[in-house]
Amino acid sequence: MTAHTLAAARPVTNGSALRAWLGSPLFLKVAAGAVLLLVWEVTVRALAPAYVAKPLGIARVFTTVISDPQFLAAAGATLGAVVSGLLISLVFGTAVGFAMGRVDLVERGLRYYVNSLFATPMVAILPLVTLWFGYSADARLAVVVFAAFFSIAVNACDGARSVPLEYLEVARSFRAPPRHNLFDIVFPSSLPYLLAGVRLAAGRALVGAVVAEFFISIPGLGYYILFNSRTFKHSEAFVAVILLVAVGVSFEILVNWLTRRYLPWARRD
Amino acid sequence: MGPETRRGRYGTVVASLVAGAAVWEAAGHVASAAFWSPLSETLESVLDTVRSGFLVRQILSSFQLYLTGLALAILAGAPFGLVLARVRWLRVALENYIMMLYATPMVALIPFILSIMGFGFAPKALVVFLFAVFPVLYNTVEGARSIRPELVEIAYSFRTSEWRLWCDVLIPYTLPFTMTGIRQAIARGLVGMVAAEIFLSPSGLGQMIMMGSQNFDTPGLLAAILIIVLLGVALMDFGRFLENRVAVWRGYNR
Repeated sequence: MTAHTLAAARPVTNGSALRAWLGSPLFLKVAAGAVLLLVWEVTVRALAPAYVAKPLGIARVFTTVISDPQFLAAAGATLGAVVSGLLISLVFGTAVGFAMGRVDLVERGLRYYVNSLFATPMVAILPLVTLWFGYSADARLAVVVFAAFFSIAVNACDGARSVPLEYLEVARSFRAPPRHNLFDIVFPSSLPYLLAGVRLAAGRALVGAVVAEFFISIPGLGYYILFNSRTFKHSEAFVAVILLVAVGVSFEILVNWLTRRYLPWARRD
Repeated sequence: MGPETRRGRYGTVVASLVAGAAVWEAAGHVASAAFWSPLSETLESVLDTVRSGFLVRQILSSFQLYLTGLALAILAGAPFGLVLARVRWLRVALENYIMMLYATPMVALIPFILSIMGFGFAPKALVVFLFAVFPVLYNTVEGARSIRPELVEIAYSFRTSEWRLWCDVLIPYTLPFTMTGIRQAIARGLVGMVAAEIFLSPSGLGQMIMMGSQNFDTPGLLAAILIIVLLGVALMDFGRFLENRVAVWRGYNR
């Protein structure tokens, strides 16, 4: 580490404004980012072949890549598949999860299948999916749904099981019809679990879409990365990685924010 | 739980497994042989690979890769996370980047690793490592954030030595979180292993999947997938077991 960051480490005791600024979290974070980029740039320059991606090289191609219609189409295809796969999984995963959480027989019947498919690495089913759906965008969607569905179902099941019994008893003594039970009690009280499930599912869906594109070779961010890195255009390919990271991180931030804003009682795990 | 209900519970589970096996078998006879094969043929294919010793060889090769990557990830992630628990300014400086890398889909880096490092064992172990290290690091840092400053202050006011501070405060407080990270790493590392074996040089169980699909050997393909599913379940249970072992003392502060 540099002398600056070491100086910043010392607690601020004598009230100098400069010191306070050097010790501020924002400065530390920005400085650490700069150091990391510098280390990356220097090591690649010193040790790796010229085609390997480095910060300055990526910065140079960044604007050309993100205004390239081919790149935008790839990003649209991948993110479109991720979003529609997540929506499909959310609807069916919640339904299956709630059924498992509320009906004992369903839970016992499906538990082993849902849990073991949840534990299955989605890469393993790629060849099977291409057998069924061909080398097409449908196969990518199927992989995304496979990746996302089970984490939502597992979490919806946990959520439906965690509903406080008193609520259901009160509802019963007021002779509430089942749909009120479902939409006014089970659904709201399992929302934190559902959000946690969606957060997990989103990360897995993104991975699913990328591996599917590697395997199937259809236009998308994964294929864009594969194609450009094969032709030694690593900087261009890395822009797609940056976009994937940005999507993953913004989703994480969005879900955390939603949980804090609308479900403040929910503990984060 | 009485014996009556326990038997009932056991009964439905067995019934659901038998029903699943029956559906699998029936689907294999109805569907075209290219799409799906009956359970009996799949199990026969598993037995063939067991008899020839092929399965054991592939599993050992996969395990070598998996354990190397996972062990390196734990050995790197946990101590570094502990250092971040102690050195506050470094943690503040790095935690956002660690969160970012935790959310990064590491599969996206496989093509770069392939073109820089080529084929061989090292690039594949690197893939498993990258999949597994950030869950360990991220969760350890989360644990570090949860250490109450009062504890460290009290330790200071009693003039605790640095060594005792680590043993009595830092490690006990962050270990349960690290274990959560290791559980996630166990699952993610398996994904990394299969991905590396399919997209980098073929070996182990990934190679079995690829062979099944390239030779249009559907029973072989399903057999390989079945083995990976069982492996995934076993590893996930093992991870939960590890996590629950340390969760006993985590209960105090959560």
